[in-house]
Amino acid sequence: MGRYVDTVGSRGVSAPARAMASGGSGWLAEAWALLLKDLRAELRTKVALSTVGLFTFSSLLLLSLATATLKEKLALDPLTNQMRPAWDAAGKMGLLWLLLCFAAFSGLSHAFVHEEETGTVMALRLSMSAGAVYAGKLAFNLLILFAVALVVTPVFMLITGMPLGAPIVFLIVMVSGCVGLAGAATIVGALAAKARGSGALYPAIGLPLLVVFLLLLLNAANTTFIVHPPALRLVRDIGGLLSYGILLITVSALTFSFVWED
Amino acid sequence: MAATQTRPPAPKMPEPPPSRHTPVPPLRGAWWKWGLGALMAYVIYGAFFIAKGAVNFTEDGNTARIVFFHVPCAILSYVAYAVAAVYAILYLTRDRNLQTDAKSATGMELGFLFCILATITGSLFAGVMWGSYWNWDPRETSIIVMLLLYASYLVLRGAVSEQPEKRARLAAVYTLVALIPATFLIWVVPRLPWLQSLHPTTTLVRPANTSLSYKAVLYPSFLAFTLLFVWMFQLRYRLLQLMARKAGRLENE
Repeated sequence: MGRYVDTVGSRGVSAPARAMASGGSGWLAEAWALLLKDLRAELRTKVALSTVGLFTFSSLLLLSLATATLKEKLALDPLTNQMRPAWDAAGKMGLLWLLLCFAAFSGLSHAFVHEEETGTVMALRLSMSAGAVYAGKLAFNLLILFAVALVVTPVFMLITGMPLGAPIVFLIVMVSGCVGLAGAATIVGALAAKARGSGALYPAIGLPLLVVFLLLLLNAANTTFIVHPPALRLVRDIGGLLSYGILLITVSALTFSFVWED
Repeated sequence: MAATQTRPPAPKMPEPPPSRHTPVPPLRGAWWKWGLGALMAYVIYGAFFIAKGAVNFTEDGNTARIVFFHVPCAILSYVAYAVAAVYAILYLTRDRNLQTDAKSATGMELGFLFCILATITGSLFAGVMWGSYWNWDPRETSIIVMLLLYASYLVLRGAVSEQPEKRARLAAVYTLVALIPATFLIWVVPRLPWLQSLHPTTTLVRPANTSLSYKAVLYPSFLAFTLLFVWMFQLRYRLLQLMARKAGRLENE
């Protein structure tokens, strides 16, 4: 079986079909087509967005109830020997990302599980390369995470009083975090979907991968909220976070074809 | 109506060549196992009655005795992961032989076991040395995360237990993907300058920090535990082969 060919004609042909029928555009066009297909389906059903968003907001509500008195407490910083807020900015950012991690692992498995459940896996396998499928699904998960983070972060900052710090650095940390989280969620989603285990399998095998990611994120968060941090420290800490995500995505891309094959 | 037709008998799976020994590692016979027993007995005796003194431990030197068991277990938990990763790569890229997958699984299972032992012995050391069995020290955190990675691998294998080829593929991929956090935990976390750790770092690295009697037990303990790992690897791999052979026989009945 070759590539998908739209037999309807140029009028009324969707952008994904045109991209694929044009031929010669390789896996990038295939990935783009898959992303558009998933986005279109998501905008119709809003399954992933609603699952991830609802989980995050519910957790945020519980968090604000649980930490209502924590904001006023002070603690002794062992490094500087001075009193500081018990719940500092870096701690708040860590908690934000914990929320986003759990939200991701409650909702992002949908990308592959849906294909298995509806039986469209074979159609994808026949019409696209494994690399294109991985790229498309990764891009979809990344967009979902960006959308959720864009909405949740300001609300979290309002509720907890987390400062912005240096805006550019804050933005880079959030983007790097989304990249790492999407990378882990995508490959684990593919593994869990193929294993056809219970819904608990996805977070069970995915969350241990994220512990290291969270450690690096907390470290980057500490740097984000320092006033005028040295450039080397910025490059080291935030570069470390971003490179972890890129490494994870690279290995996932190299091994995805083995997961995808039947 | 046609008479009921009997089904032809299912073709028998070819029997694998009989072998008492696994091809890797190449140690054969019983002689080295008797030697291992003697060596391990020496290590246990030496840990309590021969070894004296190491820096960064309590004055009486008793807390240093657990090092003969804790350090080899920790090192072997990492070596086991490396072995499993190598076999995972071989499985995916070369032969797709389920025996290669069995070796990878054996490595991960033994790595899990040695990781548990390293965690327990490390916790005992922390309790005696620092008064608390768990401090969320960076080393303690990294070993517990390694434990989670091993456990996730076993959970994934258990979820696909009825389909050996699919199980082998997915498990091999997970081994390689989890290699990134594992490498970070093993090599990077202990060396991060901003992470302050109570864990001793230089005791075994600098020869001057340990006495001769200590070295006389320490190096044999590394050898003894390594040989123990090899023996357990052989036993477990042979068991997996026998189980696979039995499953093949059951399918053909």
